[in-house]
Amino acid sequence: MNTPRLSHSAALILKALSLGYCFGLEIMEVTGLPSGTVYPALRRLERDELVASKWEPEDEALAKQRPARRYYEVTREGKAAALAATQRYPLLAHLVPEKRS
Amino acid sequence: MSLPSPNTAPPLQLPAFDRTVLRVIETVVPRPERAEWIRNWQAELWHMHHRRRNQGNIPTIAATTDLSIGLTRDALWLRTDSWRRTYSGSAILCQASLFGISLLSVLMALLLKISWHALAAEYYRSLVAAPLVLFVTFATAPRRHIEPEAAGRMLVRMRRRLFFAGKTEHILFFSFLLSADAFEPLHASLPNVADVMQVFAFVLFALIGMRWAFRDQDERCKHCLHTLATPARVGRPSHNLLEWNGSELTCKHGHGRLSVPEMETSWCQSSHWIDVDTGWDEAAFL
Repeated sequence: MNTPRLSHSAALILKALSLGYCFGLEIMEVTGLPSGTVYPALRRLERDELVASKWEPEDEALAKQRPARRYYEVTREGKAAALAATQRYPLLAHLVPEKRS
Repeated sequence: MSLPSPNTAPPLQLPAFDRTVLRVIETVVPRPERAEWIRNWQAELWHMHHRRRNQGNIPTIAATTDLSIGLTRDALWLRTDSWRRTYSGSAILCQASLFGISLLSVLMALLLKISWHALAAEYYRSLVAAPLVLFVTFATAPRRHIEPEAAGRMLVRMRRRLFFAGKTEHILFFSFLLSADAFEPLHASLPNVADVMQVFAFVLFALIGMRWAFRDQDERCKHCLHTLATPARVGRPSHNLLEWNGSELTCKHGHGRLSVPEMETSWCQSSHWIDVDTGWDEAAFL
């Protein structure tokens, strides 16, 4: 399968997701990209099946007294695309720090 | 992906500015995706305010405005994607694109300040050439066209012909204008050469356009006129003389499929449209 060619910002977002950052605000903070870039890019990545999204379980969010978030995770194709993007843009690996658990 | 039930969610206390922005922008989002979009953005805004409060920053309108750009672009993306899914490959988009090219060629003619007198003379010459172009394209159209009796009630056939007539009319119109636009600069110095070249250019543009129109017409669903998709190869090329071999294209709305033979044989000369029997769908509901 051919890995899709990603723009620099889409590659950065995919890299952030593959490092464990999993929702819009967090990705904005860690990549420094504006909201107008991050959210449409997440939609495009989801449409291209490089990313899948799911809602946080309601009881989990309720226990923490906050609304449920929409979480994104990288699919198998997305992982291959992230790897190809890291080879194409080697600096990507240094731009996004590993997520501290 | 299921949407969490709003009844069980904790109350969202968003500032009035946020609520207003959400209410205004939600109208852009296609209706089927609206509930999820609102829920998503309510959560994102809530988390943004909550995080800023925890970090000791007072949530400001500037911060919300920054996120508002994101929610606006997100809503616009959903709207354009919905249009893309609806109109991509449709007859409306095809006619609109041809209309756009026609409009562009009119604008070019206006910008080049072509005199109406010169345009009328070129128009009469092109009027002579147009039936010839049509005759040549109809006479030399690929033989593997759809069988004439294939697919359709009277109304469907009429729609198909009207669509083709619309395409033909647009193609002839913009071919004429584009050829006039192209040789207008030459007209001042070499008027006779420009006139001859204009007719040649018109014939060339119209022939290319009409070839495309025939091909496009063949590769559309005979019912909804959407472009057929998902081409699949069927049969083995090495068995060409023994069994059917070619490719199949299907209508994404499930109206039928078009079988295009790889090569013309005495028993399979033309493309064959196969209607999907709606009786199977009805049987499934029983």
